[in-house]
This record gives sequence, C-alpha cells and structure tokens, in this order.
Amino acid sequence: MSHTPLLTHRRAVLKGGALGLIPALSSAPAWAAIAPGVLIDAHVIDRRVWPGALPRSDAPVLPFDGDITALWYHRLDPRWRRPGFVLGGITGADTLFVLEQLARTRHRAVVSRRPLSAGATQWVIAPAHPSIAG
Amino acid sequence: MTTPPGLTAAVFDDALREIRAAVGDEWVFTTPADTALYRDAYSLFWDEPEERLASAAVAPATVEQVQAVTRACNARGVPLYPISTGRNLGYGGSAPAYSGSVVLDLKRMDRVIEVDERNGSCIVEPGVSYFDMYRHLQSRGSRLWIDVPDPGWGSMIGNALDFGGGYTANPYRNHFEAHCGMEVVLADGEILRTGMGALPGAQTWQQYRYGFGPYLDGLFKQSTLGITTKMGFWLFPQPEAYFTASINLPRYDDLPMLVDTIGELENANIFNGMPGISSPVLFRGGKNPLDFPEIPEGAEMDRLARETGLPCWSARLTFYGPEQVIRAQWAYAKSRFPTASFTEHALVKLPLSPADMERIHKPSFGIPSLEMFAMGARSAHNPNPTDGHFWFSPIIPRTGEGFIAANRIIRQTCQRLDIPVLLFSPPVSSWWRAFILVMAIPVHKDPARNQHLRAAVKELIRVCADHGWGEYRTAPAFHDAVMDTYSYNNHIVRRVNERIKDALDPNGILSVGRYGVWPKRLREQGGRK
Repeated sequence: MSHTPLLTHRRAVLKGGALGLIPALSSAPAWAAIAPGVLIDAHVIDRRVWPGALPRSDAPVLPFDGDITALWYHRLDPRWRRPGFVLGGITGADTLFVLEQLARTRHRAVVSRRPLSAGATQWVIAPAHPSIAG
Repeated sequence: MTTPPGLTAAVFDDALREIRAAVGDEWVFTTPADTALYRDAYSLFWDEPEERLASAAVAPATVEQVQAVTRACNARGVPLYPISTGRNLGYGGSAPAYSGSVVLDLKRMDRVIEVDERNGSCIVEPGVSYFDMYRHLQSRGSRLWIDVPDPGWGSMIGNALDFGGGYTANPYRNHFEAHCGMEVVLADGEILRTGMGALPGAQTWQQYRYGFGPYLDGLFKQSTLGITTKMGFWLFPQPEAYFTASINLPRYDDLPMLVDTIGELENANIFNGMPGISSPVLFRGGKNPLDFPEIPEGAEMDRLARETGLPCWSARLTFYGPEQVIRAQWAYAKSRFPTASFTEHALVKLPLSPADMERIHKPSFGIPSLEMFAMGARSAHNPNPTDGHFWFSPIIPRTGEGFIAANRIIRQTCQRLDIPVLLFSPPVSSWWRAFILVMAIPVHKDPARNQHLRAAVKELIRVCADHGWGEYRTAPAFHDAVMDTYSYNNHIVRRVNERIKDALDPNGILSVGRYGVWPKRLREQGGRK
C-alpha cells in the first residue's frame, strides 16, 4: 500500500482563479504548475532565499528569516496534528529538508518540489496517509 | 517490495499478514515509495548496493501492538529494526543497520504518560520528541526543564538510548544517565520493566533506578536486545539564575593545570554547567569557535599570544542555581587561578524574559531549537553546502596533554588521508569526567567520494585506537570497525555481547548488526563484514 500520493480529496478539483494559489504574478512562481488542482492552505516563505514578491493569496502567507523553529513550533506543527492542510513553500533546500523530516512524523510528505533561482526551492507538503486526509 | 535476506516471499507475506492484523493495514508500508522514506538521508552508501534499506515499515500505536509485531517476526526470523523518530542524522537516521529489516517506526507512540512535579520526573513513550515534551511542560506551566540536544527534534528515548547529550547541568545533560526506569519488549514479545518497575505497586519507578539484583538498563543502551516502549527521566527544576564566565590563561603550558583544576571544581560541584575549553589566540579574527585548528608548538603559540595580547587558553564555566550561591561559587573558582584574568559573560535571571529569549543559546536553557540547520545553509560563507555529514567522536583523555595530542594527531591524519572536516570541536564535556572530540565529516550523493571516505575513516579509527582513543558512537558504516577496536582479551566485550544476544534473541531478529553485535546465524555466515 502506498500512502505517498496527495490525499486532499475534499478539494481535489481545480477551481481556476478561485484557488488559493498564486496567480500569474510576474515575479512570483506559479503554484498551479507544481501542484495542479490543489488548494494551498498556507504558504511559508523564507525571506532569506526569496526576498521577492510574496504570494497574493487568500491563504495566510507566513514569512520567516532562515530559522524555521518558531514558525514550525507555533503555527505548523499544531496544524499538522489535525487532518487536512496543504502547505506550500519557498525556502532553501535546508529548510525543506527539515520540514520534510518533521512532516513525516505527522504522516505528511513533500508531493511536489521545483528548484527556483539562487538556492530557493518551491514545494508543497500535503497529507500522505488516510488517517489525516482532509 | 523486497524480501528480507534468508526468507522466502511466502514467509514474509505471512508475517506481514499477521502484522497487518495487529496494527491495521494502513500502518504497514511496503511500497518502494513508502520504504524510501526510511532511507538514511546522510548515508555513506547512498545509491550503492550496500546501502541499508528497509523491506517494509510498520507503525504500531501501543505496546500490545509492538508485542504482536515482535512475536510475528520472531516466529519467522524476520529482522526488525526499531526507531523512535529516526532523526539521528549523522549516526544512521531511520535506516536499518541490516538491509532488508522491517523498520518498526514508533512515532505513533507519542504519549507523555506522566509528569511528576514533586519528584521532578516524567515517563514518556518513544515517539515523544524534545519539542513535544517542551510543549507539554509549557502548556501546563511546569517549572521543570528538559535537557535537549541540538537540534532538539529527536526522541527523548531514542537520544538517550543512543547516548546523546545536551547542554544544561549535571546529571541532566547525559540523557541516558538522567533516565530512571525502562519498559522493554523483548524479542519473544515479553515485557520487561527495570528498576522499581519490576515491583508491582511500587510508587518509586522514577526515584530509585537500580531495583534489586544486577542493573539491567545498560543492556539496552546502543543495543540489539529489546524495544524500549517507556522510559522515565529526571527533569531539571528551573534554576533561579544562569551565569557563565571565562578563566583566561596566558601561556601554552597552562593548559594541563587549567583542565585539571576545572575538573576538580566540577567534581566538587563548584559549578554544574558544561565547561568549555577554547583558545582566544587561535580563534582570533572571528574564526568558527566550533572548528578548532591544529594546535601549534608551544613556542609558536606563546609568540602569537605575546604579539596579539590574547590568552592562549580560556575555560568557560557555567552555573545554574540561586544567584547568591552562583556568585560565591564563581568567587571561589576565581581564587583557584591566581595568574588568570577573567571575563564575565552573562547573568540571566529565570524565567527568561522575552528579550533574553531572543539572544540566548536556547539549548543551554532546555529549549529545543532547529536553528542549526539554518546555519549550515547555502550562503556567501558557505556557497556549497554538503549532502549531509556524519559524526566522528572519539573519547580522549580529560587532560590538557591528552587534548593537545588528540587534536594534532587527528588533524594531521585527516589531512594525510584527505578526509574533509566541516567542524572539529574543542573537547566536549557533555559526559561528566570525560572529554570527547566531535568532528563533522561531509558525505555526498557521490559513491566514489563516499567509498574513499569510508576507507579513510576506517584508517582514522585504527589510528585513534592505536593511541587509545575510541569512538563512543558512530555511523552504521563504521559499527563493525569501531567494535573491532574494543579488542581487549580477544574482543571479550563483543563476545559477551554476542552471548547475551544469543540468549535474549536466539532467532536474531532485533536491530541486527547494530553497534557491531551480530546474531549467531549471521556470525556463522560471516555477518556483513
């Protein structure tokens, strides 16, 4: 049995402009390109590696500066303990590695990743187990 | 799905059927995508045939499920590799030491069973991380501290069993020494409780660790003998204050006296935090204080000290306790160094103010952190971050002469063998009365580079052993090489471990090969060596 596919049944239908994804901002990466059809519930952006435009989104945008500890501890981990919640991010590979390890404990996985410029990576972490499918 | 070596697919399928019945189908993972999650991200065998990979993984939620899984594996000889959270990166991570093992992932067993404020203790399951425990204590307004490693994302039990350490006071910063009482599932599925836990009705499981008769807990440190499902720990009552200050000595020849005297002060409980040795003259110009350069000859170091006006050596003492007690302790400590100068760094009153919280080294205050990952990231100072690292960590004599000799010989050997070194620590004193050198050595996703590295590090292990320096812990690639160096009386330590292994785990299913202890059936086949 594989539990790694994206398990976001509740909102797996592409809703075009209604998505919480970044629309075609000239300076921001397109989220639909790496996670088509997926509603992103929040974005984390490492300002150290992505000082450019923040996503224009109905979903919360959570910027931080290098050290993910406080953001993960106060915002992400409490949310990851409950079902659902798809997280998009632009960080360095180091931070993504840390979040990938932490997500695994909460039965979540990186379902998409794409290198951007200068060490930044764009990614999506989503539920990867039936027990937390939204 | 791969099949563990020596088993038929039918037998393995039968074991998995029984395991699924015990834990639920959704908690048994067998696809390549699932088992790949258990790869050691810092493996020295990455993408080589020797890489240690899981055949499957299972995540039980209760001790009863652990027992059922163990019995299913024991009945069929299925190798089983328990992990707590698998974050022991640099020492193996979540990958099994023996390829084809079923990883027993205990992350769902994440209950804080008890916190006893009066006794200053807790009981936890293996999935409880330091962050989990910190959150638990904070949410209840506890005045107890945990001692945390850095980073603090791992399991309290897993870190203690692997002999991890932290940064606060004795005895808390030695995580195995700070435990009191264990619950262990043995290879046949029986449950053992150690210490006073063996006495039904005892209310002293987390008070007196020794129980009656031989002390068994050590059998489960860095072990292949059982699956720890509960562990008690002593917690540190939040002190009133924290203070750190340095003793600076001008001459190269001062180091032996400095190390001896701070050892005497520590052993007499004049200070209780972790001491640190540094060299202001060698670290002049903002060099990384965790990367100790090769120590020059005495005349050269004294010349540098004279020219720069910087001391050759510095020892940082750390105190936790009431402020008036700390001040008296520090005054006494200073009196023992009549030729020294002193630097007082910080007196922090506790609990921490928000402003202090932003500027302190969090692990020194029992606060888990992930900050170190941000420090290793790509930057102008670090344009080519590595694919990970492993730790090389020999125990060296706790003397000034011992530190200088180990620093020079290991530095020179690394250079001769072309071993790159990311960090080369000063002597670390997480463990009372001992010095450890801790080196971070980079690994890559390049088999050729890793092959060179493995051969070179095995030679480094031999060189250290020739000088009497032995690793206290190592990456799985070197478990056998390090165990080989503990060779007194024809390797009696390994042979006794094997006898115990054969008695407690006769089918040889648990943590096969871990720390160089192999079950009889594989010893007879030559093991993996």
